[in-house]
Amino acid sequence: MAAKLDIRELSAWYGRRQVLYDLRFSVPDRAVTAIIGPSGCGKSTFLRCANRLHEEVPGTRTEGAILLDGQPIAGLDPIALRCRVGMVFQRPAPFPNLSVFENVAAGLRLLGVRRRDELDQGVYEALVAAGLWEEVESALDAPGVSLSGGQQQRLCIARALAVHPEVLLMDEPCSALDPIATARIEALIAKLRSAYAVVIVTHNLAQALRVSDLTAFFYLGKLVEFGSTDQVFHHSQEKLTENYVTGRFG
Amino acid sequence: MEGSGDGEATRFRARIPRAVRRARWIGLGFRGGTTAALVAFLLLAVGFVLFLVRASLPEIRRTGIGFLFGPHWYVTAGVYGAGPAIVGTLLTSALALIFAVPVGLGAAILSAEVAPRWLRGALAYVVELGAMVPSVVYAFWALVVLVPYMKRVVEPFLLRTLGVGFGFAGLPLGQDVLTAGVILGVMATPTIAALSREALLAVPRERREAARALGATRWETARIAVLGPAGPGIAGSIVLALGRALGEAIAVVAVIGNTYQYPPSFLSPGTTLASWLVNGFSDAIGTQREALFELGLILFAISMAVNVGARLALRRSASGAEGPGPLRRWLGRRHRPGLPGVTAAAGSEAWWPGVIARRPRRILRRKVVAAVVVVLAVAALGIAVYPLVSLSRLAVENGASVALRPSFYTEPLPPPCLRNCSLGGISAPIQGTLLLVGLASLVAVPVGLCAGIYLSEYARGRLRTASGLVIDAFVGVPTILIGLFVFSAFLQYRPDLAQSAIAGGLALSILMLPIVARATEIALRTVPLTVRESALALGFPRHRVTTRVVLGGCRSALVTGTLLAVGRAAGETAALLFTVGWTPYGFSGWDQPVSAMAPFIFQAFWGDSTPNWVRDAWGATLVLLVLMVLISLAARLSLRSTNVALPE
Repeated sequence: MAAKLDIRELSAWYGRRQVLYDLRFSVPDRAVTAIIGPSGCGKSTFLRCANRLHEEVPGTRTEGAILLDGQPIAGLDPIALRCRVGMVFQRPAPFPNLSVFENVAAGLRLLGVRRRDELDQGVYEALVAAGLWEEVESALDAPGVSLSGGQQQRLCIARALAVHPEVLLMDEPCSALDPIATARIEALIAKLRSAYAVVIVTHNLAQALRVSDLTAFFYLGKLVEFGSTDQVFHHSQEKLTENYVTGRFG
Repeated sequence: MEGSGDGEATRFRARIPRAVRRARWIGLGFRGGTTAALVAFLLLAVGFVLFLVRASLPEIRRTGIGFLFGPHWYVTAGVYGAGPAIVGTLLTSALALIFAVPVGLGAAILSAEVAPRWLRGALAYVVELGAMVPSVVYAFWALVVLVPYMKRVVEPFLLRTLGVGFGFAGLPLGQDVLTAGVILGVMATPTIAALSREALLAVPRERREAARALGATRWETARIAVLGPAGPGIAGSIVLALGRALGEAIAVVAVIGNTYQYPPSFLSPGTTLASWLVNGFSDAIGTQREALFELGLILFAISMAVNVGARLALRRSASGAEGPGPLRRWLGRRHRPGLPGVTAAAGSEAWWPGVIARRPRRILRRKVVAAVVVVLAVAALGIAVYPLVSLSRLAVENGASVALRPSFYTEPLPPPCLRNCSLGGISAPIQGTLLLVGLASLVAVPVGLCAGIYLSEYARGRLRTASGLVIDAFVGVPTILIGLFVFSAFLQYRPDLAQSAIAGGLALSILMLPIVARATEIALRTVPLTVRESALALGFPRHRVTTRVVLGGCRSALVTGTLLAVGRAAGETAALLFTVGWTPYGFSGWDQPVSAMAPFIFQAFWGDSTPNWVRDAWGATLVLLVLMVLISLAARLSLRSTNVALPE
C-alpha cells in the first residue's frame, strides 16, 4: 500500500494550548483509515490540519509536516489542496439556498466547469458515487436542505466527490444520523475505499471495526497506537489502547 | 435524624399555601402593570394616527385625492398639493439607496468576512458609530463639506460626462436633490452596514467551512454559503435604511434648496415631505397648517409601510429562511429528471482531465477576483467611514479650543455680538438637554420596559404580532412627526404649554418609548426557554421567573437598549424643533421654552445667529460627538459579557 498522506512530527496548537503532539504515521491510498479516541484528543484537529482548515482559525499554528504524495501540503496552494483533499463534516451542511443539483455542482463551478453537459455529467457521477442518485433523480431542483438527514450527508459526500478528490476526510459523518442512515453511509464508505484514501474520525468503535482497514488510536493529542484495525482491536500492543477498545474508559 | 427531617419537610410544606396565595396576587399585579404599559403605548400610537388624520381632515375634504398630485403650494392663494414633496422624497431616498447599498454592503462584507479577524470588530464599531451621529451634525457637515464639494467637483463632472441625457442639467448649485440624496445615503450607510453585518454573522460557521473545504476563496465562500442565507436580513436592513431616509428632515432641509417644484433635473433644488414640514410648520396657520398635516399623514403612511415591510423581512430571516429565495427559484435552471447532459455511464470520465489541466490557471483567476473584491470592499469601507472622520476632524479643529475651556460648561450663552465678544458657554443647552432627556427617560424607560416585558412574556398570538408591528413602525417613525404631534396636541388642549420643556420632554419620551420596548423584547427573547423552564420547575411563580431569572439574564442588553435610546434622544433635533421653542437662556420652569444641544446647533447654523454662537455650536457639536462615543463604548462594554445582538 502506497502512502497517500505522510504525517511527519505534526504538532498543532490553539493559542497556547497544544492539541497534537508529534504525530507520525502514514495513511495509505485506496484504504479506509479510522481515527479513534476519546473526545478532545485531537482527532478532528488532525483532519483539519490535513486540508489546512486548521490555519483558518485565528491563533492556531502547526509544526511538522504532512506530505501528500510526497509533497509537503504547506507548499501547496490551500485552494488547490482542498480540491484534492475533500472533507465531510459531522453535521450535514448543504448550502441552504442552493438546490440539490447546485449543491453538488458548487465545487465544479468553482473550478470553472461551465458547459451544461459537463456539469450534468459531473453531478450525475457524484450522485451515483454517493449512492444518492436514485433517491433524488426527480428532485434535483428541490432545496438541498429539504432532504432527510442521511440524504443530506450523502449529498455533502457527493459534493465533495464531484471535484474528484484523492483523499476524503470524514469527521464523524454518522454521529448525527439514525442507524439506518448510518448503515447506508458505511456501505458507501466500503465502496469508496476502492478509489480514494478515506480517513474517518469516529466515536463509534464498532463502526471503526466495521469500515476501516487501519486504525489510529489518539489519546490526549498523542498517537498511542497505529496499525491494522484487526491488530489494534484484538492484539493491542499498548495497555491504554486495549482499555479503550474494550470499553474500560472513554 | 429521620424524624427531624420529616419535621422540617412538614413545616416547609405548611408554608406553601400562603406563599402560593401571595405569589398569585403579586403575579396578577405584575401582569396588570405590564399590560397597562403596553395598552398605554398602543393608545398613544392610535392617538397619534387619529390626531394626524383629524388635523388633516379639512384639507382632505377640500382637495380629496387630488392633493396627492397637486403641483403647487401657494400660501396666498390657499392652493396646496403634495406632488413635488412626494416625488422629492422618493427621488432623494432612491438616490440615497443607490449610494448606500453598495457602500454599506461592501463595508459589511469587509468587516464580517474578508478583513483579518483582529480588525473586524474595530471596523464594525467605527461603522456603527456613524449610525449614532445626530442628524443635525450630519446636516452641517453637509453644508460645510459636502455642498462645496458637490458644487465644485462632482456636479461639474456629471454635467460634463453624463449630461442632460441622464438628468443632469442646469447649474452646479450644490444645494439640490442630488446632494440631498448623497447626504441621506451617507446617513443610511451605517444602518445597512451594521444590520447586514449581523445577518452575515448569523450564518453558522459550518456553512462557511463547508465552502472553504471545497476550496472556495473567502469571497467565493461569502457568495456561495453566506450571502444567500443572509439575503432576507440584508434586504430588511436596506428597507429599514430606506425608512430612515424617507423621514429625515434636518439634513435634507440644510442641503436640498427648499423649492416647491417637481425637480426638472437631479441638479435642481427641490423639497421632501419631511423637509417641507420643517420649512413651513412653525409659522403656518389655517389652511396651510391643515395641508402640512396632510403632508405629515402621507409621510407617516409611507414610512409605516416601509418599516413594517422591513421588520417582516428581518423576522423571516431571524426565523431561518431556508431553501432558494424566490429570485433564485425563478431564475434557476430547471433540471429534467435524468439530466439530459449525461451522455456516458458513471465511471467514464473523459472530460475530467481537461478540468484538472485548467485548474492552476483557474485558481490564479479566482484569486485575482478575490483580490478585486477586497479592493472594492476596502474602497466601500473608506467611503462609509470618511464622513465620520471628516466631521470629527472639523468638530475637533473648530470646537476643541472652545470645548476645552471649563467655563464653556458653566457659563450661559454669550449675548449675540459681532466683534470683541465676551466668551460664554453652553450651560443652558446642556442643562436643557439633561432635563429633557431625564424627563423623557423617566417616562419612557419604565413604560417601555414593562411593555417589552408584557410582549415577550405574556402576549401571545395575534396580539403579540400586531403590537410587535406597531412598535416596529414607531421605532422608525419620522421624528419630525413626533414633534408635529406633540406640538399640535398641546396646542389644542393646553396652548400655553405647546412650546415648553414639558412638551419637549414628552416628545423625546415618545421617541424613546418604542426603542426601549423593542430592545427589552429582543433582550428577553434571547434568554433560552430551558432557563425559564428550570426556574418554573423549581416552583418559581411566573413573575419571579421574569424579574429574577429572565431580566437578570439579559441585564446588560437592557442597559444597552436604554443607552442607545438615551443617545438618540440627546442628539434629537426634529422632534424638538416645534416643541421646546427657542430661548438662549437657561431653564426657567417646565412650562417655559428651554434650549437644548441639538436645537441650539441647528439655531446657530441656520437661524438668527452670530459668529460667536457658531463657534459655540462647534464646541457643542464636539461635546455631542464625544457623548455618542461614550454611549456607544458603554453599550459595547455592557454587551461584551453576554454577546446579544444589538437592537436597531
